[in-house]
Amino acid sequence: MPRYHNINGNRVQFTEAEETARDAQEQAWLDGAFDRKIARLREDRNRLLSATDFYALQDVSMTQDMTNYRQALRDLPEGLTTVEEVEAVTFPTKP
Amino acid sequence: MSGIIAQNSGRHTGLVKTSSGGGVWNLLKTLTASGDSDLSFVDGTDGVDFSSYDEHVFKFININPADDGEEFSFNLSTDGGSNYNVTKTSTFIEIYHFENDGSAGMGYGSSHDLAQGTGFQKLTSNQGNLSDESGSGELKLFGLNSTTFIKHYISDMNSVYFTEYQQQDKCAGYGNTTSAVDAVQFAFTGGSNFDGTISLYGIS
Repeated sequence: MPRYHNINGNRVQFTEAEETARDAQEQAWLDGAFDRKIARLREDRNRLLSATDFYALQDVSMTQDMTNYRQALRDLPEGLTTVEEVEAVTFPTKP
Repeated sequence: MSGIIAQNSGRHTGLVKTSSGGGVWNLLKTLTASGDSDLSFVDGTDGVDFSSYDEHVFKFININPADDGEEFSFNLSTDGGSNYNVTKTSTFIEIYHFENDGSAGMGYGSSHDLAQGTGFQKLTSNQGNLSDESGSGELKLFGLNSTTFIKHYISDMNSVYFTEYQQQDKCAGYGNTTSAVDAVQFAFTGGSNFDGTISLYGIS
């Protein structure tokens, strides 16, 4: 199916060279899917860890449940090798 | 600003006039993407005018990509749209809340900022592509016609993350060029076609 630019409301069909370039862009995007998703998973994991960092302060007691939760977050990306595995990850429930 | 909203709620066309002391929002162009690969506003034709105003605002209504997990993004041109590759430096903040209330928070989007990059500036994060999922918000650009200063931009978007949670994305940066910007292009990072409405206002 041909692709189109929309320039000020005027639809302009891609040239053959543009189609080739966009195909390459989309393939590169697909090829980088795992790297993007695992990086994103780590970003999301890090946010959840950061939200409980204060439990690690010396004058705050960390429960065993919270210790387990934070360890589960740190372990989350281990062993993941495919996009499907990353997408299937479920974050542990915060105690 | 409250006067503008109160007097013009739901309007997408026409001249929007504020109360005394405020500016005037001039609707320059509304474009509707329907399965398009990219959408461009090019100065000088079809009502698009980047040279007569010090501030321009793009309003995005229900931007919906065909493919999952891509980011809505923009780039600037100084040669009438022949090349979209202006050097940019920016920051990016993500604020999120799971639909199941399982988590909420805020963080710096280190994979979404630019440091003297010429690629597209991301405005959203990993958008979902279901039929009811979309992103909406705005992008402000300042002094596009200046040949003295760099080109500041600020965006605020809300969208559905592809794993079904709400996310607000706030980006700010500048196009590091003293050439006048005369075209702005919107596209998704992976090349996905998309639907949606984009309106361009000039603030006088």
